[in-house]
Amino acid sequence: MNAAGTLRRARAGLPGLLVLIALAASVATLVIVAAGGHPPAGQAQQVQQIAAGLHCPICKDLSVADSPAPLAQQMRQEIAQKLRAGESADQIRAGFVAAYGDSVLMSPPRRGVTGAVYYLPLLVLVAGLITAFMVLRRWLRAPRPDPPGAGSPPLSATQRRAVAKAVALLREEEPG
Amino acid sequence: MRVPRRRTLLLAGVATAVAIIVTLLTTGLGKDPSVIASPLVGRVAPNFTLPQLDGPPVTLARLRGQVVVINFWASWCTECQVEQAALDRTWQQFQDSGVVVVGVNFEDSTGAARGYVRTESVTYPVVEDSGSQTALAYGLRGVPETFVVNQSGRIVNRVIGPVDAAALASEINSMLRARAQ
Repeated sequence: MNAAGTLRRARAGLPGLLVLIALAASVATLVIVAAGGHPPAGQAQQVQQIAAGLHCPICKDLSVADSPAPLAQQMRQEIAQKLRAGESADQIRAGFVAAYGDSVLMSPPRRGVTGAVYYLPLLVLVAGLITAFMVLRRWLRAPRPDPPGAGSPPLSATQRRAVAKAVALLREEEPG
Repeated sequence: MRVPRRRTLLLAGVATAVAIIVTLLTTGLGKDPSVIASPLVGRVAPNFTLPQLDGPPVTLARLRGQVVVINFWASWCTECQVEQAALDRTWQQFQDSGVVVVGVNFEDSTGAARGYVRTESVTYPVVEDSGSQTALAYGLRGVPETFVVNQSGRIVNRVIGPVDAAALASEINSMLRARAQ
């Protein structure tokens, strides 16, 4: 066996070796992440997403995601724990609503009295559009004002006589 | 003079809208926005098993059949000091009548909690909720907050802020009387 043949065989086996190294690196990364106890990036994002939709119960106008309060931190931990246990985002939110009520949600639910927050503006918009349409239609259908003199009611006989009398009087007064 | 029907309907609509807005404003302005009704009132109290500062762990489910007053407190909370005497008086008055007062320490260190119990002469059982999981289960919004649990294990009242000894005693007495009948 010569050196050129050995080199050729080594080159042919190179892609397989690279695949093996990549697989080993992936497994090692997974092991390190699991041993470190940190949630995978996807889960951390999910925790952030759920926490952003919840009010911090002891803060003013801060979400659980944004609040530095220990209780908010505890809520974030609980969300992560429940996600690991296989609960869905809706189940986790329902758990907090069961303890705190709907007020724990950053966006009020689209039901009951709070549903009006979503539907009332739409209703007002529709009512406004209908009113505008009706006003516009009435305005377009309204009869246009007639030119002066046109369509004036005919004069009565008495009025005609009075006009003739006035005209005659004016002519008499005219010089020449 | 005859008012057109369409105009009457329009006026009625506007009047109704104004009435709704005024009603919402008056009812809303009459409420304290910081006091939010707990959805837990009327429901079975979330169970817990928590380590006692000095004594065996306390499990709520094991206290079924007794009236339980669960008070969330912290050593750094000044309002908790205000209600301390009232809670102790309640415990002293009712501990032999089927009533248990449990203090749940919230967001505190064990040392600080122990110091508080000693200096304030707290005589009822005090447990630690170090992970705040019980606080979250009870929908806690701050301290002090007190939950009154009846003999069936249902929450009958939540008090935000310092408890009033007379009001608490009256509530407990009515529950004990109802049980006796």
